Amino acid sequence: MNLLYNVPAFSILLPMLAGVICLVLPARASRRLSNTVIVVLALLSFLLLNSFLDGAPTFTYRMGHYGAPIGNEIRAGELESAMAMMFLVVMMLSLMGGRNHLRSDIGRSKVNLYYISVLFLLSSMLALTYTNDLFTAYVFVEINTVTACGIIISKEDGYTLAASMRYLIMSLLGSGLFLIGICLVYGLTGHLLMPNIQEAVNQLVQNGHYQAPLQVTIALFAVGLALKSALWPFHSWLPDAHSSASAASSAILSGLVLKSFIFLMIKIFFRTVGPDVMTGHAILNLLLVFGVLGMLLGSVNALFEKDIKRMLAFSSVSQIGYIFCGIGLGTIAGVSAALVQVVVHAVTKAMLFIAAGGLMDASGGRKDFDALQGAGKRDIVAGAAFVVGTMSMIGLPFFAGFITKLTLVTAAAGTHDWRTYVSLAAIVVSTILTAIYYIRVLSLLFGRNGSEEQDGEVRGRRFLSAYLRRHLSMDTEYILAILAFIGINLWIGLRSDDLVDIINAGLATFQ
Amino acid sequence: MMSGYWIPIAIFLPILGGVLIPLIGFSRAKTREIYVLSVVLATSLLTAGLMIAPPEGAVSVVSITRTIDIAFYVDGLGTVFGVLVTFLWPLATLYAFEYMAHEHRRNTFFAYYTMTYGLTLGIAFSANLITMYLFCELLTLVTLPLITHTRTKAAYVAGVKYLIYFVAGATAAFVGIILFFVNGGGLDFVPGGLSAGTVDMAPGILGASFLLMFFGFGAKAAIFPVQDWLPSAGVAPTPVTALLHAVAVVKSGVFAIARLTYYSFGAAPLEGTLVQKIALSFAIFTILYGAIMAWKEVHFKRRLAYSTISNLSYMIFGILLLTPAGLVAGLLHMLFHGIMKIALFFVAGAVACQSGLHYVTDLRGYGRRMPRTFAAFTMASLSLMGVAPLCGFMSKWYLAQAAVARGGVYAYLGLGALLVAAVFTAIYLLTIVLRAYFPQKGYEAAGRPEAKDPGLYMQIPLGIFALAVVLLGLFAWPVAEWIRSAVAGTFI
Amino acid sequence: MQEAPFVLLMLTDSLTLAFRADVLGLAFLTLALLMWTAVGIYALRYKDHQENNGRFFAFYLLTLVMLVGLSLAANYVTMYLFFEMMTLCSVPLVLHNGSAEASSAAKKYLFYSIFGATLGLLGLFFIHAYSISSDFLPGGVLDAAKIAGNEEMLRTIAFLAVMGFGAKAGLFPLHAWLPAAHPVAPSPASAVLSGVITKAGVFCIIRVIYFQFGAAFLRDTWVQRSWIAVALLTILMGSLMAFREKRLKTRLAYSTVSQVSYILLGLFFLNEAAFAGALLHVLYHSILKDGLFLSAGNILYQTHLENVEELKGLGRQMPRTLGCFAIFSLGLTGIPPFAGFLSKWELAAGALSSGLLPYAWLAPAVLLISAMLTAGYLFPIVIHGFFPGRAYRSEGPDTGEAPVAMVGVVGALAAATVVLGLFGAPILKFFLDLAGTIFL
Repeated sequence: MNLLYNVPAFSILLPMLAGVICLVLPARASRRLSNTVIVVLALLSFLLLNSFLDGAPTFTYRMGHYGAPIGNEIRAGELESAMAMMFLVVMMLSLMGGRNHLRSDIGRSKVNLYYISVLFLLSSMLALTYTNDLFTAYVFVEINTVTACGIIISKEDGYTLAASMRYLIMSLLGSGLFLIGICLVYGLTGHLLMPNIQEAVNQLVQNGHYQAPLQVTIALFAVGLALKSALWPFHSWLPDAHSSASAASSAILSGLVLKSFIFLMIKIFFRTVGPDVMTGHAILNLLLVFGVLGMLLGSVNALFEKDIKRMLAFSSVSQIGYIFCGIGLGTIAGVSAALVQVVVHAVTKAMLFIAAGGLMDASGGRKDFDALQGAGKRDIVAGAAFVVGTMSMIGLPFFAGFITKLTLVTAAAGTHDWRTYVSLAAIVVSTILTAIYYIRVLSLLFGRNGSEEQDGEVRGRRFLSAYLRRHLSMDTEYILAILAFIGINLWIGLRSDDLVDIINAGLATFQ
Repeated sequence: MMSGYWIPIAIFLPILGGVLIPLIGFSRAKTREIYVLSVVLATSLLTAGLMIAPPEGAVSVVSITRTIDIAFYVDGLGTVFGVLVTFLWPLATLYAFEYMAHEHRRNTFFAYYTMTYGLTLGIAFSANLITMYLFCELLTLVTLPLITHTRTKAAYVAGVKYLIYFVAGATAAFVGIILFFVNGGGLDFVPGGLSAGTVDMAPGILGASFLLMFFGFGAKAAIFPVQDWLPSAGVAPTPVTALLHAVAVVKSGVFAIARLTYYSFGAAPLEGTLVQKIALSFAIFTILYGAIMAWKEVHFKRRLAYSTISNLSYMIFGILLLTPAGLVAGLLHMLFHGIMKIALFFVAGAVACQSGLHYVTDLRGYGRRMPRTFAAFTMASLSLMGVAPLCGFMSKWYLAQAAVARGGVYAYLGLGALLVAAVFTAIYLLTIVLRAYFPQKGYEAAGRPEAKDPGLYMQIPLGIFALAVVLLGLFAWPVAEWIRSAVAGTFI
Repeated sequence: MQEAPFVLLMLTDSLTLAFRADVLGLAFLTLALLMWTAVGIYALRYKDHQENNGRFFAFYLLTLVMLVGLSLAANYVTMYLFFEMMTLCSVPLVLHNGSAEASSAAKKYLFYSIFGATLGLLGLFFIHAYSISSDFLPGGVLDAAKIAGNEEMLRTIAFLAVMGFGAKAGLFPLHAWLPAAHPVAPSPASAVLSGVITKAGVFCIIRVIYFQFGAAFLRDTWVQRSWIAVALLTILMGSLMAFREKRLKTRLAYSTVSQVSYILLGLFFLNEAAFAGALLHVLYHSILKDGLFLSAGNILYQTHLENVEELKGLGRQMPRTLGCFAIFSLGLTGIPPFAGFLSKWELAAGALSSGLLPYAWLAPAVLLISAMLTAGYLFPIVIHGFFPGRAYRSEGPDTGEAPVAMVGVVGALAAATVVLGLFGAPILKFFLDLAGTIFL
C-alpha cells in the first residue's frame, strides 16, 4: 500500500525522464519506450484505483521539502486515479491507431521528437490530474500548451503551422488569465495549496471582505481554463488545430488535452473555491449558457463542413458544450454527468479521429467528403468504428453516449428552474443536429463505392477476405486499437454503473 | 407455455437474418427470396407460438445500469399489435419480391426490410420504457436507408426530414422518460400505470413528461404538428410505404402511445387533466387535417399517406378517451386500418409498377385493365369509407360508441371530426374508384400506358386482404371482445 | 304486436342486420317496384338512344335491390347500410353518359348524399347509445332513463339526422345536387331519381322521426319548428327556381325539390292527417314526376330539344306526349279530380289542425302560392306546345311521336293519375289507418 503512494509522483516524473531519453533514441526505440512507459503507468494507476475501491482513503503527498503555503502537493483519490487511467489508456490506443500516419506525416527522422512531445504532454496531463496546488498546476498548464503545439506542428505543412499559432495565442491568453487569477488568490489568501486556499476563501466570504476581487478571481480561473478547453465562444482555434494535425494527434488533442483542463477547472471549483461558494454562483450560469450555445452552434457548424476532420472537430466543440452544461447545472449530479461525458467523449472522439485517419488512407489521403464516398466499405474496420461512434454520439442505448445522455438529462431534470428547460431543449436540438451530420457521413461512407459490383451489391465473403489479406499484415496495431476502442465504448454502454459509481465516490471525497 | 427466452430469439432472428443478407451476398433473386421468406415465416411462427402460449413475466436480456435494463414480455396489448405485424409481414414480403424485381441493390433493401421486422416486434414486446425507446430509435435508423433507397434528390430530402422528426421525437420522449422516472414514475410497464402503485406525482411534472412522451413517440404516429414526414416518405418504394408507413412504423407509434398512456401513466391519473385535453385536441385536429389534405392531394401515394395521418388520429383519439371502450375501439381500428391501408397502398404500387402512373387523375379507365387490382381497391375503399358490414364501418362504430358513451365536449368534437373526415374519405376514395371504372367520354384508351393485373406475388396478398376486410367486418365483435380481454386489468 | 325481425347478421350483440316487413315498408316497397317496372319498360325502348346499356341496367337493378333492402330494414343500421349502398349504386346512373357535366354532377350528388348520410350516421350513433331497443318501433325507442338531462342534445341530433336524410329528399340546404344530377342522367334514371330515390330519403326520415325518436319527443319543440320552416322555405324556393329555369329537366328537378318538401312538411307536423297527406303525396308525386320526366324523355328522344322555349308548337308532332304532360301538370298543380289534389288538401288540413302557430296558417298559404307557381312553370309549356301562336313557324324536321312503348308507359301513368285521383279517398283512408298505428 505504501508503495502505491508513489504512483502519482511516478506518473508525473517517469514520462519526463523517458522523454529526455528519447532525445537520443531512434524512432522505433522511442516508440517502444513510450509504449512501455504508458503501459506501466496504466497498470500502476489501475492498482491505485483498485486500492481506493477497496477502501483505502485518499492521500496527499508532499513533493519536495517545502510545506504550506508555497509547497507542491499531490493528491490522489478514486477520481484522480480513474482519470489518470483513462488518459493513459486512450493515449495508448491513439498512438497505436495513428502509428502509420506518424510515419507518413512526420518522417522517420523526427518521430522521436514527436514522442518526446507526447511524453511530456502525458506528464503534464497526469500532473494536472493529481496536483493539489496552484503553482504546480500553472507550470504544467504551460508545459501542456507547448507540448500540445508540438504534436500539432510535428506534421509539417502550412496548415498546422497556422493552426498551432492560433492555438498558441489563444491558449497563452488563457494561461495568462489563469496566472493572474493565481496571483490574485495568493494576494487574497496568501496560500497556494488548494485546501488552504479553500479555508481562507470561506473565511473571506464569511467576513464579507474582498468580495469583488474574489469574484474576479473565480471569473479569471473559469475563463482562462475555458479558453483552453474550447468552450464556446473561445473555440475558434480548435477546428483548425484538430483537423490539420495527424490522426493520433487529433485524437489526443480532442480526447485528452481538453479534458485535462476541464478536470483542473472542476478541481479548482471544488477544492480551491469550495462547493459552498460555488453553488449558485453566477459564473456557473454563464458556463451553462455558453455550454448550451456550444452544444448548438458547434453542431450547426459541423453540419456545414465538407471535410471529415473539421466536422469531427466541430463535433468536439458541441460535445464539450455538454460537459460545461453539466458543470453549469451547479449540482453534484451535474458535475458527475460532466465527468461521465469527459470519459465517454475521450473514448469516442479518439476512436473517430483514428478511424478518420484510416478512412483518409483508403481514399488517397484526402479528407473531403467527395473523396470519402464508399470509404467505409474500403476500410471496414474504420467504417465499423464510425458506425459505433455515430450510435454513441446519437445516444443509443448499449453505447457509451447513451450514458452521457442519461446522466445529463437526469441531472438537468433535478434542477427545477430555467436551467432544466434550457439544457433539456439544447440536448434535444443538439441530438437532432448531431444525428443529421453523423448519419450523413455514414451514408456517404457506405454509399456509392468507386468499384461497384454488379447490381451495386457488396459481395460479403469475397470482400471480407480481400480486406483481411490487404490489411492484416501491416496494420495490426491499427485494427487492434479500433477494436479496443469499440470494446471500451460498448463496455461503458453496458456496464456504466461501475464508472458512475467511481465518479460519484470520487466526487464525494473530492474536497 | 413457452420459455421467456424465445422472446429475444424471435426478435433477433429477423435482425440477424437481415444482417446476413449482404454478407452472404445473394446473386440470384430466387435464392434470396427463399431465404428471406424462410426467415420471415420462421419469425412469424415463433411469434405466433409466443402469443398463443405466452411466457410468464418479463425476460431481462441485458442491464445497462442498475436501474435500466432491456427486457421483453408478451402481454395482451403486445399481442394485439403483434398479431397485426406477424400476419402482415409475410404477405408484404411476397409483394416486395415482385415489386422490387426491377429495382437495384435488392440485397441491401431486403436486409433492412427484414431487420425492421425484428425491431417492430421489439417494440411490441418491450417490457419497459427504455427498451421501447431503444427499439424506436433503432427502427428509425434501420428504416432510413429504405426511404433513401432510390437515391434520388427527393429521397434524400425525405430522408433528412424523416431523421429530424424521429430523432427529435425520440430525444423528446427520452427527456420525458427521465423526467417521469426521476419524479417517481416506474420504467417498467404495469397495467394501470401509476394507479397500480402509490406514487403521487406533481401534476406539472406528470403533464410535462406525458406531453413529451406523447409527441415524442407520437411523431411516429404522425400526429400534428409532427406529421409532415409521412407524405414525403411516399418517395420510398411501395413495399416500404405500405408496410412501414401504413403498418409497422406508424402503428408502433400508436402502440407506444397506448402503452405509455395505460401502462406507464394510467387512465385515472390522466383523466380530466389538461394534457388529456391537449392530446385529444391535437388528435381531433389531425383527423380533420389529414382528411382534408387527402382530398386535395392528387398524388396517389401521398393521398393515401394523408389518409393514414387522419386514421392514425382516430386511434389516438380512441385511446386518449381513457375509457375501456375507447381503448378497445382505438386498438380495433389499429388492426383494421392496417389491413385496409396496406391493401390500398399495394394497389397504388401495383399501378405504378405496371404503368408508371403516380397521379390519381391519370387512372381513368384502369379499372378495366386491372380488374382484380381495382376490385381489391374498391373493397378496401368501401371498408375505409365505413360501409357496413365491412371492417372499417365496425371500427368506426366502436369509436363512435365509445365517444358517445363518454360524453363531454372533446368526445363530441371528436365524433364530429370523425364524421366530417368520413365524408372526405368517401370522396377521396370513391373518386378514384369512379374514375377507374367510369372514364369520361373522349377517353382515349390507346394513348395511355399499358397495364394489366400484376403477378401472383402481388395478387395473393391483395386477394387475402380483400377477403379479410369482409371477414373482419363480419367477425368484428369477437375480435373486439378478444381485444377487450387482452387489455383487461388496465383500468384500476 | 310486431313479429320478430329476421336477423341476417349479428355484427355485435346490439348491432344486427335485420329485416321486417311492416305495412309502411311494404307500401314503400310496392311503390318502388311498380315505378321501377314502369320506367324499366320505358328504358328498354329508350336504350336505343344511349350506349353502355349493360352497365346502365346493371346499376338500375342494383339500385332497386338496395331499395328493397331499405324498405324492409328492421333497424337503423340496416336502413343506413342500404341507404348508403343505394347512393353508391345510383351514382353510375348519373355518370352514365360520360360527359364532363355528368362527372361533376355525379361528384356533387356523391358529396351531398354522403354528407347527408353521415349526418344520418350521427343519428344512428346516438340512438344506439340512448335507446332501449335498436329496432324500429312506432312511438320511438328512446330510453327515458338514459336520456335524462340530455334531451336538448338528442333533439339537436335528431335535427341533424333528419337534415341529413333530407339531403336525399332535396331539403334545403342540401338540395343542390338535384338540379345538377337530373338533367345529365338518362331520362329513365332521372325519373326514378326524382320519383323514388328522393322518397327513400323521405322514408328514412319517417323511420327516424316516428320509429326511433318518437313524435312525442319532438312535438312542439324548436326542432319541429325549424324543420317546418326549412320545408316551407324549400317549397317556395324550389317553385321559384323552377319558374325561372329554362332547361326542362332542370325545371322538373327544381319542381321535385319543391314537391318533396310538401311531403316533408306533412311529416314534420307530427299529426295523423298531415302524415296521411304526406304519404298520399308520396304516391301521387312519384307517378306525376315520373310521368313528367318520361315525357321529357320522349321529347329528348325524338327531337333532342332540352330547353322549354324550344318546345313551342310541339303539340303538333307529339300530341300524345304533350297531352299526358298536360294531365301531369294539372295533377301536380293540385287540380281536382286529378291525383295531387287530395294529398295537398289533406296536408293543408293537417297543418291547420296542428295548432302550431304561425305555421298552421302559414303552411296552407305557402302551399297555395306554390301551387300557383307550379301552374306557372308547367302550364305554359303545354299551352305553348299546343297553341304556339300565329308567329310561329315550325323549324326542324317533324320527327313524329315517340315510339309506342314509351308513349304507352307515359299514357299508363297519365291514366293512373286520373284513376288514383278519382279514387283517392280509399287510399287516403288506408294511409290514415296506417298513421293510426304509428301515432301511439
